[in-house]
Amino acid sequence: METPRDDQLAADLRALRPTPRPEFTAELDERAAAGFPRRSFIGAPAFWTAMRNKGRAHPRRLLIPAGGVAVLAIAVVTAVTVSNESENHAPRLGRTLGPLHDGKSAAEAKPARPPAHYGAASTEAEASAAAGAGESAGGEVMSSDLPVQPGAQVHGPSRSAKPGVHNRAVERNAELVLGADPADVGDDAADVFEAVHAHDGIVLRSSTREGEAGVAGARFELLIPSGKLSDALAALSGIDEVRSRHEATNDITAPTVTTAELLKDSKARVDSLLDQLAGAETESEREAVEAELAQERRHRARLRTQLQHLERRADYSRVLVRIETGDSDQSPEEGGSWGIGDAIDDAGQILAVAAAVTVVALAILGPIALVALLAWLAHRAWVRRERRRVLS
Amino acid sequence: MNSDSGRSTGMEQTLVAEAQDAPRSGDLAFERLYRSSRDDVYAYVASLLRDAPAAEEVTAAAFERAYRKRNRFDPQRGEPRAWLFGIARNAALDELRRRGRQAELTAEPADLHSGADQGAEHSERSLAVSAALERLEPRERELIALKFFAGLENREIARVLDLSESNAGTKLHRAMTKLREACDGNA
Repeated sequence: METPRDDQLAADLRALRPTPRPEFTAELDERAAAGFPRRSFIGAPAFWTAMRNKGRAHPRRLLIPAGGVAVLAIAVVTAVTVSNESENHAPRLGRTLGPLHDGKSAAEAKPARPPAHYGAASTEAEASAAAGAGESAGGEVMSSDLPVQPGAQVHGPSRSAKPGVHNRAVERNAELVLGADPADVGDDAADVFEAVHAHDGIVLRSSTREGEAGVAGARFELLIPSGKLSDALAALSGIDEVRSRHEATNDITAPTVTTAELLKDSKARVDSLLDQLAGAETESEREAVEAELAQERRHRARLRTQLQHLERRADYSRVLVRIETGDSDQSPEEGGSWGIGDAIDDAGQILAVAAAVTVVALAILGPIALVALLAWLAHRAWVRRERRRVLS
Repeated sequence: MNSDSGRSTGMEQTLVAEAQDAPRSGDLAFERLYRSSRDDVYAYVASLLRDAPAAEEVTAAAFERAYRKRNRFDPQRGEPRAWLFGIARNAALDELRRRGRQAELTAEPADLHSGADQGAEHSERSLAVSAALERLEPRERELIALKFFAGLENREIARVLDLSESNAGTKLHRAMTKLREACDGNA
């Protein structure tokens, strides 16, 4: 046999070309016309088709619904968690926690809602929390805002907070807004004086105004012994309808301790100068020591005044009491009807929740997606390598 | 070498031209691609698998995959036939891999082709060519199958095998040279 020419060889090769069975081509044509339904499912009932389709679903097809379910689950869990937390921290429902409460446990935090007998217990907890906080030159500040539904009467238990708990100096301030009828302003003002005196407090300033609803009212600036603040607030709250109540604490331990130490040093310096004065032998030496002594005494007096002022701030709490008449002109945060401010606040909270959900979802799904991607890439590379090996 | 022949039976070049953008144009265009390539795909897959029933299964599976992926086809990355044969090749190699079988590319599985009613000289030559094919490396046999069984052009072969067109042409030329030498040896 001769060596085949190129065209002859090509023709021989084409003659060897495998050809499909007519039955197969006919069946394949039918399937092509039907849009290539999955062969094993042809004629199967819809239920079984769906079940088998589910069983044969490609992992990538399962990834999307699985991811969606995961995100949904995370969103629900996070939303519930954040919702609970925001309920505990919502200004209108509870109180605004200052920096001292950041990161503290729920047990250390204040109650979410003002209890029916809210009073000394919670404020004493504040003082303790403030006392346990770290020192700072300017003191640590925290506050609680306690809006009360109109008409509610707040009575506090007779627990007294001790000033300087754990040897810390804590300054406390409070603001109380009472709602009253115009005719009751005078009586309420008298009750305020009575309550202040009953708790050994001091009325720094007071003013009352008579007139129609919205005009009539009273204002009191009080100093209440810090140890009796809670009882005093409870008594003041019982005078009339409490519209809002705000308390704040400020840890002034650091400046108090510093001032006390400076005063101690100054005393020692004065004693030393007195010794030098006694031992002075010349007139000029005596005059110099006396001048220095006078300066040091002035310094000591300033320090003493400063320390007394700090101690007074810790010993006496400043309380502002306002008696208002007419409709409660409260801001939404103070418990008024739901308005634009509330809507903005709620929208902000919703956005915060959404952001938190997104962050959590990304934190969980990100690594999973990365691992899945790496696994998919590895699988693809392995498949390609195996395909190459098949023909080698 | 003539590369124009070897397309599926009954196929017209105009249909192929219209099928250039078939996967993106819809079911009608895909159907044209299917009709222009059905027998070619089968011939190529059958030559890879050397098993007619398996070749039918894989051919059907390849078209099924291609049909489901038709919207992902990018005309800028190659011709639709090359894209289709890439899918068929992967399906055939997966089948071989699944079986754990060494690929054997043969030109003459006994039940794969018809051509027994040829003349005596032609049959003798066919046997010689078939035996020569058996001596080639599997990759070389695949190249020849893509060229003469599937009827692909060199650029399409290059696309299917992920080679450059010149590289595909060179490899094909070498395979044909070896095949001719093998035929000489048989003679």
